[in-house]
Amino acid sequence: MEALSQALLNGLVRGLIYVAIAVGLTIVFGTLRLVNFAHGAFYAIGAYVGLVVAQKLGLVPAFIVAPLAVALFAVALDRLVLRRFYDKEPTAQLLLTFGIALVVEETLRLIFGGTTQQYPMPSWLASASTTIGPIAYPTYQLLFAAGVVVMVLLVWVFFQRTDYGLIVRAGVRDRIMVQLLGGNIRQASTIVFAIGAGLAGLVGAAASPIYSLDPETGFNFLVPSFVVVVVGGLGSFWGAVLGGILIGELQAVTTLLYPPAADVVIYVCMALILVLRPQGLLGESEVIRPT
Amino acid sequence: MTATTTSPTTTPVRATMRGSDLRFLLLTAIGLAVFPFALHLIGGYAGLATQIVIVSVATIGLNVLLGYAGMLSYGQAMFFGGGGYIAAILLIHTMPNHPNLWLAVLGATLATTVLALLVGAVSVRLYGIYFALLTLAFAQMVFFIVEQGKDLTGGDDGLQSFPVALLALGPWNLDLTTALPALALGPFGNLGDIKLWYVFAAVVLLAVLWFVRALTRSQFGEVLDAIRENEERSVFVGFNAAAYRLAAFAISGALTGLSGSLKALYDGTVAVDSLTIERSGSFVIYAVVGGVQTLFGPVVGTAIIMYLENVLSGVISFWQLIEGLIFVLAIVFLPNGIVGTILKRRRGARALVDAVRVP
Repeated sequence: MEALSQALLNGLVRGLIYVAIAVGLTIVFGTLRLVNFAHGAFYAIGAYVGLVVAQKLGLVPAFIVAPLAVALFAVALDRLVLRRFYDKEPTAQLLLTFGIALVVEETLRLIFGGTTQQYPMPSWLASASTTIGPIAYPTYQLLFAAGVVVMVLLVWVFFQRTDYGLIVRAGVRDRIMVQLLGGNIRQASTIVFAIGAGLAGLVGAAASPIYSLDPETGFNFLVPSFVVVVVGGLGSFWGAVLGGILIGELQAVTTLLYPPAADVVIYVCMALILVLRPQGLLGESEVIRPT
Repeated sequence: MTATTTSPTTTPVRATMRGSDLRFLLLTAIGLAVFPFALHLIGGYAGLATQIVIVSVATIGLNVLLGYAGMLSYGQAMFFGGGGYIAAILLIHTMPNHPNLWLAVLGATLATTVLALLVGAVSVRLYGIYFALLTLAFAQMVFFIVEQGKDLTGGDDGLQSFPVALLALGPWNLDLTTALPALALGPFGNLGDIKLWYVFAAVVLLAVLWFVRALTRSQFGEVLDAIRENEERSVFVGFNAAAYRLAAFAISGALTGLSGSLKALYDGTVAVDSLTIERSGSFVIYAVVGGVQTLFGPVVGTAIIMYLENVLSGVISFWQLIEGLIFVLAIVFLPNGIVGTILKRRRGARALVDAVRVP
């Protein structure tokens, strides 16, 4: 019982990382129709920028600088390269963003080396634990989980309550109509992209004290996040949230029951979803068509 | 286009096809014969030519899918690594005393074809990112199964020191690791360490190129083009698009499996890194840089990237960054790849000449 609740908590924390990355992936797909394989690179850049700032100034400044830096990077990337590929077929987008992910990963390796980096943590936080029922769980992990929940809710509120959010949501339905009505969909798209990227960057900085950090970490989190997005439904906000927690828990429970299968179970899950319900759990069914 | 109708002599179509077939085989054979010498001149070590030729076959396999059928697979490693493992396992368990290269390679190719048919049966209904991710999922499953099946596959260590497969040719049993008679080439250096393997691999590549060339010129190839351009329309015309896509997937799996089995036999070892996402991605990079939808693009892309990888990795530590940059630059500035761009230029020039001549 104790082992199970421990596993479920681990699954929740990991799942929330997936949620934060997947929400960015999914809103970018929903609004820009862009399949972004470079999204994991945003996580990695956030993690490394956060590392540098954390070493100099501490954790809190790191959590502020990392998402801003990543959002800026993403906007620059969008303006310089990605924009040319909005209207291209998904295969071309996939190839381009895969290439960008490679370049970012190798650049990080060049700058920081290939070794695993240790995040500096204040000593009171590093060893602190909070008792929940029968188990003691690291306080940082719990704070992290709460932080992700708050961030995701903020993003949701942004989309529901602001004018930008309105344009974005309308743009998902009918892009041309929004433009005809005078909505600035380009600006809104840029903001969506920056938010998605910034979120990934923030999670990169915030999750790295929990998980190890090396240049491949971004890609290692990206692939499960794609699984999450597919399971939840590509383009669906709550699908990404549901999928993230589901996949995180699935991995954690499998790790408990049969560790060797922990890595593969999510792919089995994704394959089943793609075969049986390609639009995902909460996705809309219109997406599966020949290009 | 109209210029051809004014052509004075009408040669029988069949005869010209034969002529062009012969010319194709001859020129490609010459190219393959010269390749190791050219590579040697620019600093590639002897074994590299053989590796490039072998891996090219897998890239051609991806091109059948990505280029001609328009399906991006991120799971080619399941066929590449799968072919390697099956060849090795066949050698170890079924013919430890009479290691026959044909049986190992054909067995592996057949097995990966069956795997491709099974995976394809559920995958080809999907498109774009969905298809790419489903193939990735299956490849990850294969990776896991191989990594966990330690008794048969050696787990993380892979399989080494399996029997050296002999090539049965009539009365002979050739050991492909035999060095060719010392080739002292004056200014070209000494290629004495090139193995019989290169000759065999080059013949295989030549056969594969010839096969794919015939494929693209057949009705099958034309239907594949039509499906890629507009699937709905080709279905209305009466073609079973799913069957064609499945066939393309199976051919792709067969060629990639063939390549993987040859690579394993050549290396004398096969490991789980042949089954990774990175391995799947490498074929995509090779094909895109060289040029999809072209016959020689995959070979050129494989040669350039593998050459750079081998030459640069010795000199600078960040060659992978350079590889990534080449890939991105190719996608942005050469969407048709190196070979595709050259062909387009030439076709453009020819069209210009025709346009001037026609009036």
